[in-house]
Amino acid sequence: MGMTLELSRLRKAYAQFGFGPVDLTVDDEVLAVLGPSGSGKTTLLSLIAGITSPGSGSIQLDGRELVGFPPEDRRVGMVFQEGALFPHMTARENIAYAATASDRVDELATLLEVTDLLDRRPPTLSGGERQRVALARTLATDPDALLLDEPLSSLDTPIRKRLRDELHSLFESLDIPVLYVTHDQRTATALGDRIAIVRDGALEQVATPSAVLTRPKSRFVARFTGNENLFAGTVTDRTADEAVIQFGDVRVHTTAPNHSASAVTVCIHPSRVEVEAPDLVDGDRTANTVTGTVARWLNEGSEYRVDIDIEAGSLALTANVRPPTFERLGLANGSAVHVLIPEESIHLIPDVE
Amino acid sequence: MASRTNSDRTGTVTFGFDWISVALVLGGVLLLYYVVPMASLFLSVPAGDILARMTSPTVVDSATTSLLSASISTVVATLFGLPLAYWLARTDGAVTKGVLAVVVLPLVLPPTVGGIVLLTVFGPGSPLGEAAIAAGFPLTRSLAGVVLAQTFVASPFVVVTAKAAFESVDQTLEYASRSLGKSRLTTARHVTLPLAGSGILAGVTLAFARAIGEFGATMMMAYYPRTMPVQIWVAFIELGLDNAYPVAILLVLIAAAALLILNTVASNPWE
Repeated sequence: MGMTLELSRLRKAYAQFGFGPVDLTVDDEVLAVLGPSGSGKTTLLSLIAGITSPGSGSIQLDGRELVGFPPEDRRVGMVFQEGALFPHMTARENIAYAATASDRVDELATLLEVTDLLDRRPPTLSGGERQRVALARTLATDPDALLLDEPLSSLDTPIRKRLRDELHSLFESLDIPVLYVTHDQRTATALGDRIAIVRDGALEQVATPSAVLTRPKSRFVARFTGNENLFAGTVTDRTADEAVIQFGDVRVHTTAPNHSASAVTVCIHPSRVEVEAPDLVDGDRTANTVTGTVARWLNEGSEYRVDIDIEAGSLALTANVRPPTFERLGLANGSAVHVLIPEESIHLIPDVE
Repeated sequence: MASRTNSDRTGTVTFGFDWISVALVLGGVLLLYYVVPMASLFLSVPAGDILARMTSPTVVDSATTSLLSASISTVVATLFGLPLAYWLARTDGAVTKGVLAVVVLPLVLPPTVGGIVLLTVFGPGSPLGEAAIAAGFPLTRSLAGVVLAQTFVASPFVVVTAKAAFESVDQTLEYASRSLGKSRLTTARHVTLPLAGSGILAGVTLAFARAIGEFGATMMMAYYPRTMPVQIWVAFIELGLDNAYPVAILLVLIAAAALLILNTVASNPWE
């Protein structure tokens, strides 16, 4: 049976910073809370955990009101940034301190692969080991909701990736609301069933990772999720189901936006842009095919980031190109290319900001 | 004065006034000023003679009174001081500053003035003092009087040192404990106190050392029963310096024991 965490009109005022009002419902899913530092991510967790009291609003977990109750009576588990393990206790003592039943210690140690570490003290553990023990300790209380505050931020990339994969399946098996705070977009999209983007103490957008990436609600969300292709554009021709968008010297066709604004921000995720050879045959051209030259490129490991000057430099478009494509096209600075912008990849944000 | 030869980057040799040697000599003189009188105390009377006099009733009585009263004072100071220290460590603001100033006051107040202050509240002339005498539990010229005087001057050591010890415990650990379903009390017992333990022990040790050496306020509150410092005074005034030695040596040994604790199990707050 799943649990539901429900925040309504939650507010907290600080001298320099106002949090909320936040309305949010989290079912038994992983909600990745993504935002820049100082945006209020940790405040959100502190309010739910009971470390901070809200100015107003309510927090309900499985129908129970949490506001007004101390942390120890909330059944909300929290994994802190550096693990917050008790340094004077061994890993086993840390987990046993929290465990509701003694056999849980070995069970969780096995699950999180820390059996060999149980007799060691936290200062002798690596960052990743500490986080595993901290997670085991929190799970030992059988919480009704799980909060994690950037648990992987201090880890090296390989360990972070491995733990991220393991965490994903672990969270799925829990059947409780999981709030995972991070400032790393990749972690958020990899772990989150949904992503909540936090900005200045408010929720800017709450949606699935793919929706956040391809249909950002604002320029802020787009930029923060690594969407570099943001252009000021105008909706020129609009029919019932189609519209023509003009940005720079580029005109593209797209499905009609669901808003009536004519001034828009055209948002095209770099991963959705297709780069093709300059000798593209007419049959492969679409209405949204433009020409350009490669201005610069960067090998980012799993993909190439290619900046392309479109239509004689009226626009700088960024495309993510997979290595096989990059090599097949023999791309280099100055290469002439065709760029295909699929209709469905064009997202229009009405200019109200 | 020693002078050292320095060669600068161009290779020319210069003779400068050696400030390092001066500093070493100054420090050394001060150290000798501490050590020589201490050694002199132990050498001034034959060891066998001292041991014989240690068992005299006045010495035994005063040692008993001192150890008992200082122990009680330390327990009282710890019992009342730890909660206040914790509150001071976890609260910020003008109120905290004010409260801390009040706590430190007995440290900077001359002990005899402390005694006078206490007498106005607990003395035979005061309503509280009168009531206590009527109840057969006099607050002056009694062990209670000694404890009151010692607690007044010694308890700030517990508060101030324990405050620093509590501050060194990351508050996140307390939140972590409570989010694991543990009450404030359980958290204090299993997380905060063990982690602040060596710092608290330092405060307790300092308070005990201060209590056992307390003279000024104790003189005013309770000339009887005689504590060791008072006994030293009485012996010195009535019988001369020689007769003050045994108790003085006892107090030096107790002070040395306190130092030993500070440098081993406790965390020395001055390190």
